[in-house]
Amino acid sequence: MSGSSQLVLFQLGARVFAAKAADVRRIATSLLERAEDGVFESALGSPWDPRRGLVVEVAGEERVLLVDGVLGLRVVPDADLCGLPAFAREVLPTSALRGFAMLDEVATLVIDLPTLVKEGLPAQAAVPREENPRHA
Amino acid sequence: MAMKQERGSGAPDPAPHVPAPGVLEPDVWYFGVRLADGRYAFAAPLVTEVVRLGPLTRLPSAPAFLPGVFTHRGEILPVLDLGELLLRRAVSLRPGTRAAIVHAEPWRVAVVAEEIEGLLRVPRRRIGPPPAAQAAGDFLQAVVPDDLGDIAVIDLPRLVAAARARSIAP
Repeated sequence: MSGSSQLVLFQLGARVFAAKAADVRRIATSLLERAEDGVFESALGSPWDPRRGLVVEVAGEERVLLVDGVLGLRVVPDADLCGLPAFAREVLPTSALRGFAMLDEVATLVIDLPTLVKEGLPAQAAVPREENPRHA
Repeated sequence: MAMKQERGSGAPDPAPHVPAPGVLEPDVWYFGVRLADGRYAFAAPLVTEVVRLGPLTRLPSAPAFLPGVFTHRGEILPVLDLGELLLRRAVSLRPGTRAAIVHAEPWRVAVVAEEIEGLLRVPRRRIGPPPAAQAAGDFLQAVVPDDLGDIAVIDLPRLVAAARARSIAP
């Protein structure tokens, strides 16, 4: 019997993306939390109006991908998930594009959030910051 | 990464050809397309089918020659812009734009151009060597004159491989 995956759908700029719900620890809504560890610029572009954040774990630290909105959860049969074509995977400069989910007959990009956030972090931001009370 | 030097599968030998006396030479089949500055063709056996391009899913941070992917019979195919690959000039994609699905070993991709001419049957004796300087540069295999002008024959697998190599170079 085939399985299914739970995806979280989010909007970034004009586009809707999906990510494995298991990769998201929680959704950040407070301005403070989003400002502290937020990744604004990523391979997906930048949000127009970052009202939400997807909190993920990167190297034992919580990091936040700033997004325009979180649209909800979808359970997708594994048969509706597929990987990136080999050629596209090889020529793309990011490793964060996991593949596609067919949602309402539209191929929606499934993002590897921890990889995306890791790629978007400046090198110095990848280490824990002792002065940050959230990490004390 | 070193660029592949061998010619693409199914491509004719561009060297001037002298048939043996009394031997019938088979015609060569090309697949013709049009771009802004002229007519191009590649080996017809590379093409498996021609389809209308469905809704395109753009890939973030993709190189310009890869405008996106589309779904064809449940398979997700990368779309390669021949205008970008050859001339650094993007093809304008519209609803109904036709794409040629090709096997550019080892990849299966959909190729778009300004216009698709389709199959061209060319007597082997009309295939000439490429001129020294041409827009298609290193990827030009031969030139075929016909009633509408010259057709530049390109080595599509080598063009695709070179674009890939450029993209993954550090």
